[in-house]
Amino acid sequence: MTSPYPFAAIFGILIVALTIASGLIWIERRLLALWQDRYGPNRVGPFGLLQVLADTIKLLAKEDWIPPFADKPVFIIAPAIIMITVLMSFAVIPIAPGIIISDLNIALLFFLAMSSLGVYSIVLAGWSSDNKYSLLGGVRAAAQMLSYEVFMGLSLMGVVLLSGSFDLVDIVHAQRKIWFIIPQFLGFVLFLIAGLAETRRLPFDLPEAESELVAGFHSEYSGMKFGMFFVGEYLGVTLISAMITILFFGGWMGPVLPPIVWFLLKMFFFIGVFILMRASLPRPRFDQLMAWAWKLMLPLALANLLVTGAVVLAFFH
Amino acid sequence: MPDNYFARYLPLLIHLVIVGIVACGMVLLSWLIGWRRPTRAKMAPYECGMAPIGDARERFSVKFYLVAMLFILFDVEAVFLYPWAIILRDLKMFGFWEMIVYIDIVLVGFFYIWKKGVLDWGEASMKRGGF
Amino acid sequence: MATSLNDMMQTVPQWSDYIRILPEIVLSLFGMAVMMLDAVMDESKSQKALGAVALIGAFGAIGATLYQAQYPFGYGFWEMVRVDAFSIFFHFIVAAVTAVVILASFEYMEVQRIRAGEYYGLILFGAVGMSLMSSAVELVLIFIALEISSIATYILAGFRRRSATSSESSLKYFLLGSFATAFFLYGVALMFGATGSTSIFAISRSLESGNISLLAYAGLAFMFVGLGFKVAAAPFHVWTPDVYEGAPSPVVAFMSTAPKAAVFAVLLRVIFEINSPVPTRMWLIWIVAALSMTIGNIAALVQNNVKRLLAYSSIAHAGYILVAFAALPSSGIPAAMFYTAAYAAMNVGAFAVISHFGGEGERYVTMEDYAGLGKRSPLLAVTLTIFLLSLIGIPATGGFFAKFYVFSAALQANLVGLVIIGVLNSAIGAYYYLRIIVAMYMHEPKQEAPVAPIPMGAGLALAISVVVTIYLGVIPGRVLNYAQQSVSELTPVGQVVSLQAPHAVEARMATNVKKALAH
Repeated sequence: MTSPYPFAAIFGILIVALTIASGLIWIERRLLALWQDRYGPNRVGPFGLLQVLADTIKLLAKEDWIPPFADKPVFIIAPAIIMITVLMSFAVIPIAPGIIISDLNIALLFFLAMSSLGVYSIVLAGWSSDNKYSLLGGVRAAAQMLSYEVFMGLSLMGVVLLSGSFDLVDIVHAQRKIWFIIPQFLGFVLFLIAGLAETRRLPFDLPEAESELVAGFHSEYSGMKFGMFFVGEYLGVTLISAMITILFFGGWMGPVLPPIVWFLLKMFFFIGVFILMRASLPRPRFDQLMAWAWKLMLPLALANLLVTGAVVLAFFH
Repeated sequence: MPDNYFARYLPLLIHLVIVGIVACGMVLLSWLIGWRRPTRAKMAPYECGMAPIGDARERFSVKFYLVAMLFILFDVEAVFLYPWAIILRDLKMFGFWEMIVYIDIVLVGFFYIWKKGVLDWGEASMKRGGF
Repeated sequence: MATSLNDMMQTVPQWSDYIRILPEIVLSLFGMAVMMLDAVMDESKSQKALGAVALIGAFGAIGATLYQAQYPFGYGFWEMVRVDAFSIFFHFIVAAVTAVVILASFEYMEVQRIRAGEYYGLILFGAVGMSLMSSAVELVLIFIALEISSIATYILAGFRRRSATSSESSLKYFLLGSFATAFFLYGVALMFGATGSTSIFAISRSLESGNISLLAYAGLAFMFVGLGFKVAAAPFHVWTPDVYEGAPSPVVAFMSTAPKAAVFAVLLRVIFEINSPVPTRMWLIWIVAALSMTIGNIAALVQNNVKRLLAYSSIAHAGYILVAFAALPSSGIPAAMFYTAAYAAMNVGAFAVISHFGGEGERYVTMEDYAGLGKRSPLLAVTLTIFLLSLIGIPATGGFFAKFYVFSAALQANLVGLVIIGVLNSAIGAYYYLRIIVAMYMHEPKQEAPVAPIPMGAGLALAISVVVTIYLGVIPGRVLNYAQQSVSELTPVGQVVSLQAPHAVEARMATNVKKALAH
């Protein structure tokens, strides 16, 4: 059920994804302001909506700065990698029946593969900058993202056990009777946390912890290359929200409203959750972060997997 | 469009090309539009105004390497679990018990690294001589 | 593919399947026990206890092997492992070497002040891979077993953490070793491409049916390169001297015998089963065997470091064993098996002596250090002399019959040229082994201080090695008979042969080989 008009699907999804991602800059600032009892950006255009446009023009017009001490090719490639890997993942996301770029039978694996490739962007950015803060941010990012990736995949295997497929369309169809959030609540929580860590969102933004590392791995970045990390982060948030919607909340399924509206509604709800997390949670120490991943999340993910396996075997045979 | 196996990957390929163009376009656009006026202060690495000592090509904690190694080990373990999750219904109870044995063996290794303090980053690891 | 998966799911492994891998199970369980105990016990006190656990594991593996031998032979786990007299022979060698090495390690670890219980666990895990290698009849499983054994030995080679040469040894072994394993894996992949299977028997059947593609030759050559590296056969031997010199002596005792035995087992299976229809193996092995013997012996002549000398000697011995591979299966296989067993006994013994004599930091390893050992410690000198005489191939030692069988097997196959090279090489080899003996007895000692007394563990290890070396030299019959018996089991499944009729088997094998040669 890959879309019959690939170009239409690709451009449609790309434009929507990029619009949402850049729109999120405004949404996040407004929501944070709301929760922190401030105004947020409200000057440019109605409700400050044109702020996004203003920011884009500003970023493009900024000095195209490549530090003379940096490793030039790697420095330029790093932000491109994050854009490419995150946007590639959108290719397998079924937004509604027929609205998908490429309906792969290994879509879930493809998503995991692309999210692991994203690490390269951060590490290479941190390393190529040849700045101590950047390097620290880069290696921290590597350790954090690798650690959380291990159980990110494992947390999704419960869903795979229940649906018997890596195909995201099949997974959505398998939730006709009951959304996987109910049998896989633990899996959902684990995936949400792993998703936060993979996108380096607060409370897991240690790679760029501004109070200790200036701006972490992108300390030396400016202009549009910085903007690409920025947009890449919001694309990541959008992607993880979309994945949560598909894997645990029945994707496009819902009564009365058209499928695509349901999908977007659910997705924006989780984007809201992501922003609420940022507004409300403090940042952990690095040792706590690593200890959680290895000592708590990994055993939980394994336990979840085995229990789900036992239940599947007990009830489906 | 014929629904053969590779036809599904064709849109993915087109997508990759377009995404690549978008990403490169953004870099290129800022190169075309942005201006360049290097000054002495800009040429130095940003370290909050302090004069930088040395560069960043320094050694960093071996812990990061250990995490990378652990990641490989445990991710390989996870990779074995992926196909298992797909065909568990066909493997039936035998597959389940085999996986219990397998995970137990993995947990032995997990127990070992835990007790050896590989997972400790804070003061606990400092007590062990900063390992 | 789908049907075979379904078949697999229909047949759940039986009790007998688990017995087929019983030694591996025992070794793994004890290895894991060592690992977990090491994690919870106090590092400064745990060494002896962990070694004892590992020793029990090694003896358990010997027991499991004997139990296996009582059980009817056959396949396990969907024809992936095969337990027969052949694999039991090698299981026994691996388990016995493991036990002796652990015995010799107690003192070594204490003298070198290495506090790491992982050492014993790794030895057991390495042994798991080695014994699995000798019973696996499926190339992917062989690869996994090879990796298990290699990775354990890579780490073990670097266990003298304070010494730079040990790290060098470990790193060199690791880099070159993983390169070689990649060769092996690539060969497996090509073989799969050529025949559509990774089971040795299926490959053999497919090749017997005629059209042997270039791909199969290439696959076989790649596999041979990978395995040739592991047994240190020339021209894949360059890593050996540096690795053996730097690695801890008991580890060298281990990795110069047990993994070699296991890899020779794999080579025997691969060469004589897959390769039987491919006549080109003859000249390939001919060249490698001749090169290994010559390079090993000539380079050993100029060595002053005894560990390095024995490293070159192990290259030469790999060459002697390979001579048997060029011979006919009926006599070549038992000759190679016997040689492996004899070499294991004498080499483990020799390195046990070196490890005891080396002292803290392995200071005493040169020829000058060995001068006058006959006066300083007569017992140690006598044992080392026995092992060296056996390595030369003097009668009444295992080394003599080992060489004798190998060369007579080669003569039966009309490989006169190879035998001449081999005998000449033995004569060259005698020179450098005798040099050590001469130094021990004829030269004045550099220092008069008595050598540290031999503790019980090391003494037991030496005693076992001496007894086995002499046993194989005086009464080789039983071991040789056992080896000859297992020849029949190396034949493909298609040809059902009875265990009781070795002559019929030989005749059948001979006609097979003739057919192959005519092909």
